[in-house]
Amino acid sequence: MIEATHLTKRYGRILALDNVTFRVQRGEIVGFLGPNGAGKTTTMRIISTYLPATGGTVRVCGVDVLDDPLAVRRHIGYMPENVPLYPEMRVREYLRYRGTLKGLRGRRLRARVEEAMAACDLGDVRRRVIGRLSKGYAQRVGLADALLHEPDVLIMDEPTLGLDPNQQRRVRDLIRSLARRHTVLLSSHILSEVEQTCERVLIIDKGRVVASDTPQRLVSFLRGEPHVRMEIQGPADAVVEKVMALPHVRNVACETKGGWQHLTCRCARGADVRPALFALAAAEQWTVRELRLEQSNLEDVFAELTSEQGGEGVASPDAAGREAAA
Amino acid sequence: MRNFLAICRRELAATFLSPVAYVTMLVFLALSGLIFWYAVVTGVGTGEPLPTMLFGGVVFCVTILVTVVSMRLFAEEIRLGSLEALMTAPVTESQVVAGKYAGAFLFLLLTVTLPVGFPFILRAMSPGVASLDYGALLGGYLITVLFAAFALATGLLISLLTRNQIVAAIACFCVVWLALLLGNVAAMAAPGPAEVARYLSAVDHVLAFSRGSVDTRPIALYLSGTAFMLFAAVRVLEALRR
Ligand SMILES: Nc1ncnc2c1ncn2[C@@H]1O[C@H](COP(=O)(O)OP(=O)(O)O)[C@@H](O)[C@H]1O
Ligand SMILES: [Mg+2]
Repeated sequence: MIEATHLTKRYGRILALDNVTFRVQRGEIVGFLGPNGAGKTTTMRIISTYLPATGGTVRVCGVDVLDDPLAVRRHIGYMPENVPLYPEMRVREYLRYRGTLKGLRGRRLRARVEEAMAACDLGDVRRRVIGRLSKGYAQRVGLADALLHEPDVLIMDEPTLGLDPNQQRRVRDLIRSLARRHTVLLSSHILSEVEQTCERVLIIDKGRVVASDTPQRLVSFLRGEPHVRMEIQGPADAVVEKVMALPHVRNVACETKGGWQHLTCRCARGADVRPALFALAAAEQWTVRELRLEQSNLEDVFAELTSEQGGEGVASPDAAGREAAA
Repeated sequence: MRNFLAICRRELAATFLSPVAYVTMLVFLALSGLIFWYAVVTGVGTGEPLPTMLFGGVVFCVTILVTVVSMRLFAEEIRLGSLEALMTAPVTESQVVAGKYAGAFLFLLLTVTLPVGFPFILRAMSPGVASLDYGALLGGYLITVLFAAFALATGLLISLLTRNQIVAAIACFCVVWLALLLGNVAAMAAPGPAEVARYLSAVDHVLAFSRGSVDTRPIALYLSGTAFMLFAAVRVLEALRR
């Protein structure tokens, strides 16, 4: 549904996006996760045809955003960051106006406005002036607007920004309930939020996509199951079996390259199995040429993503890993 | 076309939903009424026709009106961020510019039409007042509306260039006054090409039209000026999103 290839965006001297490539399949619900200033909003604005990219292409439902922006806009329901609305209008009046702009007419317009208001639980504020709504309601008006023309693709920029935890949960539930009928791309700078809503996460930092995986795998990976890399010479089967038998070792992957076994051991959090590995190799008289704990290059990003949840532990310093794609 | 109408309607509704519109309208009426009354009182016996007294004052009040109406057009959308929502709906830049312009223009048209009643009220109150030249009245009204249309287009363009309404208002006010008096100033500074400069003087046009001498050149000037400003606004709106 969304194919972004080699996207680059410069604002004058600032390089906001640097060769970003990703795809979102039909029906997927994908979270775009990154600290503030990572380039989430920029990417979403490019997809929704608000900004042109400096380089690279984006196709939505097979249509290039530069070739036919109006067609792309018909496929997209976009909810901008901070949900800008007209404060002097009433909720239903606003939705009718937006529906008209999106090509809905007459009976269908009225029906869709009612449906979108029902979906977003706006029934009791339909006649209220938008400027006097609470933030949670305003957010849902923005969401109803995005849903109006039943777009194939929903793009939401930080849909829970500025809400209290209760409202956040309601908006998240709402988004999850939409996922079946729409392809959803949403952004967030809070890890736990994406973890609860999305099937797949793209982590973006300083304009680059640094990881893409299911939230469960990313989180378990990032929450510090240390990885120990080891290169060793010995009978492959015996090596794997004996290493697995060591305490705290959860999982061993073994690959033979040029007579050396390259092991990747996933270990329990907080455990350092290197001394035990060395002792084992010495006892079995295997030759070791490398033994190291790997540092995650995602760790800094992760620290920023988790620090705003208020006190929940940041990945332990010796959390280890390679690429999130592992 | 439907998009244009929808945007125009929203613009009109937004204008009438804000108290600013009514205050502006009242101030405009009071001010132009006052100027007219003053012109009538001091002009008794000078043979100056009523339409000239009327529109000579109205056109100055139009500068204030246009400033207030145009300053929020785009500056407000940019400040609220709603331009992003607007321009990611399936609408074109021309529809947005035309719709907003038309909405604001309708309000302007209504407001500028009200003072046309002043001479009739005057005549009803004092039957001794000289007869009214309807042609001249129409001429003065026409050129005032045309000037207002041009000034509004200029104000719209200016409001696209800033998110700050105050900056937009000040810039618009200055530019509109320049348009109003540029010709006169230029004629004073350089008497040689005075003829050309006169062609640009809005005040002179209004005075001439409201005496009944209608000329097609000022009409063409303001129509093409309006078209140019709106065209530039479409281009700026496209270039704004970079
Ligand atoms: N209109 C703009 N002009 C200049 N720089 C911008 C503009 N918008 C964003 N940036 C810069 O681009 C980078 C990415 O910003 P953004 O996409 O808003 O990040 P995010 O939404 O992930 O917080 C930031 O460094 C930001 O300062
Ligand atoms: Mg952002």
